[in-house]
Amino acid sequence: MASLRCIRELSRRATTVLSINQTRSICYLPAIEVSGTSISHGTVISNRSLTRDLPCDEGEESSEGEDEDDEDYEDSADTEVEREYSPAEKVEEAAEIGYKVMGPLKPSERLFKPYEPVFAIVQIGSHQFKVSNGDSIFTEKLKFCDINDKLVLTKVLLLGSASQTIIGRPILPDATVHAVVEEHALDEKVLIFKKKRRKNYRRTRGHRQELTKLRITDIQGIEKPEPKIVYKPSKEAVTEQSKAELVA
Amino acid sequence: MALRGVWQLQKLVVSYCNWGGSSRGIRAFMESELPALKQKNPQLEVVTELSRGQHPYLKGIYRNRNERVVCVKNMDPEQVLLNATRLRNSLGRKVVKRRTRHVTKHPSVQGTWTTAVKF
Repeated sequence: MASLRCIRELSRRATTVLSINQTRSICYLPAIEVSGTSISHGTVISNRSLTRDLPCDEGEESSEGEDEDDEDYEDSADTEVEREYSPAEKVEEAAEIGYKVMGPLKPSERLFKPYEPVFAIVQIGSHQFKVSNGDSIFTEKLKFCDINDKLVLTKVLLLGSASQTIIGRPILPDATVHAVVEEHALDEKVLIFKKKRRKNYRRTRGHRQELTKLRITDIQGIEKPEPKIVYKPSKEAVTEQSKAELVA
Repeated sequence: MALRGVWQLQKLVVSYCNWGGSSRGIRAFMESELPALKQKNPQLEVVTELSRGQHPYLKGIYRNRNERVVCVKNMDPEQVLLNATRLRNSLGRKVVKRRTRHVTKHPSVQGTWTTAVKF
């Protein structure tokens, strides 16, 4: 980096000197010099890409993965970068992961309905889940929501019921899945043990992942079958449908 | 931590010593951050206990009669707050490793596929 800067300075000075002389053949020399160096890989790289290389080599990569530009780390011991998010930023980042915070749950609201035979495939971050009413899901820790918060999961890839299936390309814009945050907790400790035999190398490390438990309350965007009073309505509807298919 | 809207942590016991150096952090926590925690969680019963000559700890008592004890000796007030928030954020369940990240009672809506099913 420093050597390239020196070469650039020299080349700039050389070009100014040569422009005074106004000879064509000598003007090509600085270009050849710059391209010949091994650092630039044969082409002159812009400053932005060069500066981006350095922090990646020197600093640790944050586990959260929120870096858009180079970031200055406050504590070298912390792997997470603590940023102050403005409310607009929070909403934007949450929307990118695939959910939206609606607000806290009021004690008078009755959100938890009995089971409906409708499912949806929902994406949160990089993980996809097949959810139904009343299921619980463990996802990576969601930053901007507290316990007893209502969420709307916006990335819905597929909706299905006993009679109908709606496939998104890749997402369904009108479908929503409502969920409630149940807990933010740590997973069980996993031991990471590294050993190289006959090389006197042995390392033990513990890791607890931070998870969020969501309970799915409602799926919207598809026609739901009317609730029957008969026990196990979903099984009956399914057998009827499969029989109809076989007949057809 | 709230199961179907019901808060699971019922009582938080903050036990400290007023003489020992390991309780310095928790004493500072009690002055600076504990009132804010109490205000944010009106459903939580916070009790401070003095136990002289012992190391400080935070004890969380949950609805399923489970007690989680976290030793906070020689910790900064911010770390004590983090531990208290973690106790408040979790259900009282025993932490076990799960095989799946999806817990459901009705795994199939359209019928489980078998080799006999024909579309």
